[in-house]
Amino acid sequence: MTQKNIETAVEVKNITKSYPGVTANDSVDFKVLKGEIHALVGENGAGKSTLVKILYGIEQPDSGEIFINDKSVEINKVDKAIELGIGMVHQEFHLVPSFTAAENIGLGQEPRNSRGFIDWDKLNSEVSNIAKKYGLDVDPKLRMIDASVGIQQRTEILKTLYRNANILILDEPTAVLTPQETDELFEVIRSLVDEGKTVIFITHKLREVMEISDRVTVMRDGKVQGVSDTKNTSPEELAKLMVGREVFMQVEKEKAKPTEKVLEVKNLWVHDARGLLAVKNFSLDVHKGEIVGIAGVDGNGQTELVEALSGLRPTSKGEVIFDGKNIESFSPRKRRRAGLAHVPEDRANTGLNLKLDIWENLVGTSYFRSPLSKGGIISMKNVVDHSNNLREKFDIRTPGVFVRTGSLSGGNQQKVVIARELSEDPLLTIASQPTRGVDIGNIEAIHKQLIEIRDSGKAVLLVSAELDEVMSVADRVAVIYEGEIVEWVNPKDVDQQQMGLYMAGIKD
Amino acid sequence: MEWLEIFDISLFRSLIRSATPIALIGFGAAMCSASGVLNIGLEGKMLNAAFVGIAASYYSGSALTGFIWGVSAGVLTAILFGFLSFNLGADEVLVGLAINIFSIAGTRYLLETLFKRRGFFSDPSIQGIDPITFDFLVDTRFEKIFSGYTPSIYLVFFLAIVLYLVYYKTRLGTAIRATGENPEAAEDAGINTLRMKWLTVVFSGVLAGIGGTFLSLENMTLFTEGMSAGKGYIGLVASSFGNNTPLGTFGASLFFGLGDAIGIRLQGVYELDSRLILMVPYALTVVVLILIGIRQRIRVRPVPIPEQ
Amino acid sequence: MEKFSFKDVLILFAGTIITIGIAWVLLTVTGFVPREIGKLFFEGAVVGQRNILNTLNIATPYILTSIATVVSFRVGMFNIGINGSMYIGGLYAAWAGYKFTSLGHIPHVSLCIAIAIITGSLWMLLPALLKVYAGVSEIISTIILNFVAVLFVSYMANGPFRADPIAPATPRILETAELKQYFPNSQFNSGFFIAVIIAFLTYFILKKTTFGYELRSGGDGLVGFYPSRYSSYLGIPSDRSAITGMLISGGLGGLAGGIEILGNARYFYQELLFNQGFDGILIAIVGKLEPIGGLIASLFWSALRNGGLFVDYKTEVSREIVVILLSILIFFVSAQKLVSSLERFKFVRKLDAFFTRKIK
Repeated sequence: MTQKNIETAVEVKNITKSYPGVTANDSVDFKVLKGEIHALVGENGAGKSTLVKILYGIEQPDSGEIFINDKSVEINKVDKAIELGIGMVHQEFHLVPSFTAAENIGLGQEPRNSRGFIDWDKLNSEVSNIAKKYGLDVDPKLRMIDASVGIQQRTEILKTLYRNANILILDEPTAVLTPQETDELFEVIRSLVDEGKTVIFITHKLREVMEISDRVTVMRDGKVQGVSDTKNTSPEELAKLMVGREVFMQVEKEKAKPTEKVLEVKNLWVHDARGLLAVKNFSLDVHKGEIVGIAGVDGNGQTELVEALSGLRPTSKGEVIFDGKNIESFSPRKRRRAGLAHVPEDRANTGLNLKLDIWENLVGTSYFRSPLSKGGIISMKNVVDHSNNLREKFDIRTPGVFVRTGSLSGGNQQKVVIARELSEDPLLTIASQPTRGVDIGNIEAIHKQLIEIRDSGKAVLLVSAELDEVMSVADRVAVIYEGEIVEWVNPKDVDQQQMGLYMAGIKD
Repeated sequence: MEWLEIFDISLFRSLIRSATPIALIGFGAAMCSASGVLNIGLEGKMLNAAFVGIAASYYSGSALTGFIWGVSAGVLTAILFGFLSFNLGADEVLVGLAINIFSIAGTRYLLETLFKRRGFFSDPSIQGIDPITFDFLVDTRFEKIFSGYTPSIYLVFFLAIVLYLVYYKTRLGTAIRATGENPEAAEDAGINTLRMKWLTVVFSGVLAGIGGTFLSLENMTLFTEGMSAGKGYIGLVASSFGNNTPLGTFGASLFFGLGDAIGIRLQGVYELDSRLILMVPYALTVVVLILIGIRQRIRVRPVPIPEQ
Repeated sequence: MEKFSFKDVLILFAGTIITIGIAWVLLTVTGFVPREIGKLFFEGAVVGQRNILNTLNIATPYILTSIATVVSFRVGMFNIGINGSMYIGGLYAAWAGYKFTSLGHIPHVSLCIAIAIITGSLWMLLPALLKVYAGVSEIISTIILNFVAVLFVSYMANGPFRADPIAPATPRILETAELKQYFPNSQFNSGFFIAVIIAFLTYFILKKTTFGYELRSGGDGLVGFYPSRYSSYLGIPSDRSAITGMLISGGLGGLAGGIEILGNARYFYQELLFNQGFDGILIAIVGKLEPIGGLIASLFWSALRNGGLFVDYKTEVSREIVVILLSILIFFVSAQKLVSSLERFKFVRKLDAFFTRKIK
């Protein structure tokens, strides 16, 4: 494709980057035209992040060439990328909490007066002006501690614009946004392009690709799988390239046969760490023999709900009845003993202590019980047998159980959590984002396990922000928005568009 | 109200002298903490500077040479700290502790090997740094308050202002604070966080060096074993008392200096034991830390649940 | 902190060679014959009954303070206030040693030791509570308490507990409160056995009991991990673990101080100088934060120190040279990147894997 009239903003040729054991980018060619919105799609671990990190000077490629505006460049540090007019908005915001919006935006480039001191007034008015120009509503004097996620993201975008970025890289910008906020973001992106900016938009949500992008590049396993104009492709085709197999993931399962009620949540209210109401008047039932799903964009109270159910966070009002007992006063351990298991969303800090050995993490819920320990003394033989059994049963790939848990891959770490939680044969398993950061092969295994639990007559409460996952695994799904249930749906009777509306809090 | 008599000019002067080394260390510690480095090795840096300063003055007969060598020793120790923590990935607190232990032993070793002394070293050929007197203040009532201090004391006041300006009003200041609070944000803004950390650590080395030579060449003209007497740690405490800000640290240092000065004055005069007075600043630091902690707790006030 | 591996052996070995080299140069430059000094040094450290006993006697407080460090670090608290606990424990052991007059030997010694442990442990209660309930850094608060401890004990030795009108010191402890010294030529006393038992007991408790598991679940690393979400998630109150760990750590510090008084000094005086609390932290690191590692490293450390004292006594060489060399050795051992950079060599990786399997 040699269109002389259209200049290229970014061109990457034959980039390869390896980490010990993985080739994150394998001879990648990638080209972005000036003034376009270019979507870069792929699953977790496809190599998108590595590619943009190379573009932004955070990582250095092992080999290959980079051209910015048709000039060969070497981007060996972030400064250099900024100098070349590249700006990046990370998925996890890089903001200084105690600084104001303007202080964050101007950081490192603050205007100075004749005496060399920072001219704060000038900075504030400059920020206001840019914000107005691109329709980004941000108060320059607002401290980031007090700002909402949407405002934080706008601040991040303003940061790049303040630095005169012409090429903006947005890394999964919609992951933390509500559908409305996403729409607002898309407006902003379009106005950016109207002003002559180029946008690289990283995502794994194909709907967004179709809606916003001009062209799209698909990556898988560190390689580029295809490039095309968005209007000439379809979500099905992109998904095929992305996953490398037929899409519309269908998990094989039979119809659920729910029996008696195991969990009953009645009018539950929960406060979050900032004292705000995260869960509002929430009610739900879970029966044995079914998987109940909770769908919704991240940050709509799912975390607090799960913490309240598992005993990590006090409930403020309402009742939680488990297996006929009110468990409000129960400690997490007592809840486990009653048959409630919990696979937490934060694997690295909550679900595991990565500094401990694998066996130590595997016995976390059972070490105090015979035969693993007697009279407070741990029986090493029984503990090791127990751990090795779990290791085999759940296919944890490790050289042995006396290995630091932190040295395992994400998928195997998650298997340790699941193995430990299921080893108790619980009545109800609360699985929160169970496949986050887990590779495809292991995702399937985890889904299968959840369905097996169901088929053995036990219950599962699956909380996930992956719409595909909830819709294919769960038998009934509640959509949560701002701490409230918007609607109960049957996954078979609802289409993605309708779900999107529910997730935005819009009911009919 | 007899005891009120102790609050006179000489108490003030003694307060300022006690506060000076604490503030010098405190400023360094505050800058390090602001950039995210917990620097507990300042004690050793100070001690090395005190010894090297006096040794250089002894051999050269020049106070300035002593000062320059002393400060260099502080900086070299700081570089050792930075190299081990930043380049070789050792834990900062451990390196700090190891440097302090190393320095106590090292200065003692050199004292015994070079000067064949144990405990302390003083010699008429050591040139101390002289106090500065302001001629225009002579015979005014300000003379006793403002005149006749050694250079470092004036430097501390100067630094309090300069650091305040740097901290809040310059790019360097925001860069340092951003480095400590969110290194990724700083890196994003093109700030080299490692360089910022090196900068604050070396700066703290310079100040610890000045603090060390203040002890051995200005305040007195002699070296005693372990003469820093924990001032490196007290400076760190002062900086956390002042929430790592320049003026806060300065205020805390004056406060510690006041405790010291009253303690010295009361020694043997009144029934109240001076050691109890010396404890007061520490107790208050604990109180301040508790208040900071509680304030953060109280901030969370749950919103009421609406009635149905 | 990574697990003990072959790399550590290599680093220790290389570090030792380099520090010996530095010592060689230092000694030569200052006009000594390194070979002779080395011989004397070795003799002082481990040759002959008297020297061995002295080495073991010096080791006692190091063993205890290094294990105190191990315990606090393993629950995720960076306790550098063990030295303060030593002073407090020592002071109150002395007090109990002269105060209770009508007890037999065993009850009296046990009481003194118990009081040393309890007071040393209570001394750590404040920083533990501050950390848990107000988020105050335990590093800063324990530094503060170290100062307060020195001021406090010197006030007490001068005031309320002072016996001698001339010297600021407590009365001598009664004979019933003394830890037994077995040999006329050394202060070696039964406190050493207590320290060794404590080392093995700590190993057992941390590794083989459910209580130890609960303590470690929130930490087990070099850097403070408290508050641990993992512990709360398992239903282990991590607040309680953190506080308990700090109390045990302080108690061991108090015990170290108590044994110094009951076994060696026999009374508490104002000029008494403890610094084993600080050295203990470094020793614990050399011992890879393992109780038995701490025990071995303490013995090694005190052998070197005693060798240094012997050399100092026999020659003009300053005993401080040993501490200088030991801190240089610490620089090597704590340099994580240096250690992990060894992994680039294949034979190191192989031997690492081999040892891991052996140790299990």
